[in-house]
Amino acid sequence: MANEKPKLKVAIYWGAACGGCCVSVLDVHEKLFDVVAAADLVFWPIALDFKYKDVEAMPDKHIDVTLYNGAVRNSENEHIAKLLRQKSKIMVAYGSCAHMGGIPGLANFTTKEDLFKRVYEETESTVNPDKVRPVPKYKVPEGELELPEFYNDVRALDQVVDVDYYLPGCPPQTERFVEVFMAIVTGAELPPPGSVVGANEKTLCDECERKQTENKLIKEFKRPWEIQDDGETCFLEQGVICMGPATRGGCGARCIEGNAPCRGCYGPPSTSPDPGAKMMSAIATMIDSNEEDEITTIVDQIADPAGTFYRFSLPGSIFRRKLFEKE
Amino acid sequence: MEEVRIGVYVCWCGSNIAKMVDVEEVSREVEKLPGVVIAKDYKYMCSDPGQDLIIQDIKKHNLNRVVVSACSPRIHELTFRKALENAGLNQYMFEMANIREHVSWVHTDRAEATKKAKTLVAGAINRVKWHESLDKRHVDIDPATLIIGGGISGISAALEIANAGKQVYLVEKADKIGGYVAKLDLTFPHMYSGKDMIQPKIDKVMNHEKIEVFLNSMIDEVFGYVGNFEATVKAKDEKEIKFGNVIVATGLKPFDPSGIDNYQYGKLPDIITSLELEEMFINGQVTKKDGTIPKNIALIHCVGSRNTNYHEYCSRTCCMSALKYANQLRSALPESNIFNIYADIRAFGKGCEEFYTNTSKKNVMFLMYDQQNDLPKIKKAGTGDNCDMIIEMNEKLSGEAIEVPADMVVLMVGMKAHENAKEIAHAVGISMCGNEFYIERHPKLDPVATTTDGVYIVGTCQSPKDIPDSVTQANAAAARVLATINVAHMEVEVTTAVVNEDVCCGCQTCINVCPYTAISYDEEKNVSVVNEILCKGCGTCGSACPTGAIRSRHFTDEQILSQIEGLMSMQLQI
Repeated sequence: MANEKPKLKVAIYWGAACGGCCVSVLDVHEKLFDVVAAADLVFWPIALDFKYKDVEAMPDKHIDVTLYNGAVRNSENEHIAKLLRQKSKIMVAYGSCAHMGGIPGLANFTTKEDLFKRVYEETESTVNPDKVRPVPKYKVPEGELELPEFYNDVRALDQVVDVDYYLPGCPPQTERFVEVFMAIVTGAELPPPGSVVGANEKTLCDECERKQTENKLIKEFKRPWEIQDDGETCFLEQGVICMGPATRGGCGARCIEGNAPCRGCYGPPSTSPDPGAKMMSAIATMIDSNEEDEITTIVDQIADPAGTFYRFSLPGSIFRRKLFEKE
Repeated sequence: MEEVRIGVYVCWCGSNIAKMVDVEEVSREVEKLPGVVIAKDYKYMCSDPGQDLIIQDIKKHNLNRVVVSACSPRIHELTFRKALENAGLNQYMFEMANIREHVSWVHTDRAEATKKAKTLVAGAINRVKWHESLDKRHVDIDPATLIIGGGISGISAALEIANAGKQVYLVEKADKIGGYVAKLDLTFPHMYSGKDMIQPKIDKVMNHEKIEVFLNSMIDEVFGYVGNFEATVKAKDEKEIKFGNVIVATGLKPFDPSGIDNYQYGKLPDIITSLELEEMFINGQVTKKDGTIPKNIALIHCVGSRNTNYHEYCSRTCCMSALKYANQLRSALPESNIFNIYADIRAFGKGCEEFYTNTSKKNVMFLMYDQQNDLPKIKKAGTGDNCDMIIEMNEKLSGEAIEVPADMVVLMVGMKAHENAKEIAHAVGISMCGNEFYIERHPKLDPVATTTDGVYIVGTCQSPKDIPDSVTQANAAAARVLATINVAHMEVEVTTAVVNEDVCCGCQTCINVCPYTAISYDEEKNVSVVNEILCKGCGTCGSACPTGAIRSRHFTDEQILSQIEGLMSMQLQI
């Protein structure tokens, strides 16, 4: 084909991730042919057998676009994030974990020590009388074994390297990924660096089909299974916490369409520095009582408030982690 | 963004600040901070030379932002804002750090106090970088006034305003005006007739060319803002009215004593409330239900008042009313025994203590009880007793448990907020305190205004009070209303909330939290809309807004987060 533009070089990497983001890329189905026609995948550990040394051998800015998904949880995640930043023209934080810290970021409510103690000593299925724990370096007769160092803090990608664009979601909607990808391929004018792409500026309520009124008064907080959902009334008006008001739309309200409240994976709009704090303030105004004791009782009904309001956003939020007294 | 050029001024406040804070060091240190062009300390920043220093520096150094670190902004923020205006700078390009009330007056360690002062100034410097110019706005005042309630307060205010030639709409729920004063036989302490006092005023109101009276009427909801309100009067025929100010004079509701078991109200025939006794006086005859003259009459004070089980507050008028009844009864029934069963006598009004002294000389028995823990108990007398009822009580002064004979018991019931208080509060957009009396803007310095501009509260809807206090308030509110009508326009808040329509998702969380009903929902655009004239800039909607679409001018996220950052950075440096 004459005058064909050189193919884009694309890398996809997973840090502390579940694999869902990589699957969302695979979910392009037959559109994969368009993607492959336009791009060479130069690095994608989940699907292709490239090694780190292949990346290290590339010249700087060799890769056009890196989609980095997953949070930064250990020294390996950090090393590759920095390596890919160096080798890439455009660094995209792909998915909630790279964007804000995501589900792994909830570990910032605890410490490395508490996590290791639980996982390697206390869980019901653990038998570990010698209390063996992973260590970064371990000598065996054959030589020294090395493991990445597990950090105390989980970080979002932009807390480790400069990020050009954020494509939010847990995982991002495949359609939105394709839109953004094709925009890059066709050379459309890109938004200013630092922008969130593939999501709306307005929050989810704007595209939510459920009926909502100013009548958001909550006497009792309920879990989704505790209500007789009519499929039409705003979840908040039924006492179920829905992160929709504080979360960017663009996902197509898929959770809502599945009759589940929004959990906040698309993150806050640009005007809101901390979606958890924002949503807690909003929820506080909805509590239908002026009696202190009753308010306490109502608030106590919220199961796992920290995990609810900061489900995807803790490391990227203003307070980043729970603080602990110095020993 | 233009280059930020900040001038910082650290005040000594004589020795008030300087003795506990090293003001020179503060000034020296903060001058190094980014954006600061000049920093100075001066003996009295609020003095004319102090203000002049700022004005000259703004011109000389081309400053576009100013921080003064001195006393509380409540004292001198306006002074310095004015100085900025005089120098041609927008007054909102200013921030104050309070290092007197928050530092020098409350600390004893000079080094620590100096550190804290630096920290607060650093916060202010960081904040002022994000300040924006805001412009003053004015609204025109409609010269008509709506008065809700036609009792003595509403009538007084109506006449005051109408006599000044301004239109008044007086809305009364009942079929006539006059309220409780028109139902009073005599008034304390001068024993003037209530009816005679108010009737000429009622006549004047009913015939005044500037007063339109709506009887059997209610106000549904008041829309608009100071100077430009409108409402529908709900009566037989509905009528739309427009007005610039509102005076709320909805009055009181008497306490219902049937909930107090000890007093047997409604269970024994000759236990009556003070209002029922008043009616007997108006009708000219005080008798028992069976038509006979009561030989022993007991007046129990503080019924429903000053007791946490009912109302904690004092109703202020019942003591004197009870003394009035004692006088009236003494004249009407010279042979009967009169017992005033009281907790304390509160005789604080003009001529009231004298009235009490006089009454005590008229063969009236005063018996004291414990209002908090030990209410008297009324029971039916036995067959052998020479009376209908017995009141058992522990008399506090003698320390004796006694039995008081009674054929008629008068319960001196206190005042409660009107049963429509809540409805009216909602309709006009004012707040109530815990016991449903309306809240004034300032309890001492602005007692007839409310936090809603153009809405005033007078008489017993604000708290229990007597006739002269009610009239005083009515006249005060009338003067306030006439003053705004006279100016013809007024300044409104500029530090209001503003909705970013590109972000607002239409969740309507803000609408319920606004205490000034300033936010409405635009269905077509699916966004909230703030009426900037109603908005007082309280910021409630901004913090409630889950999207961050609502920005409170002068209290933006950038401003507050930068201030916090400034505070923290100085703490870390130190």
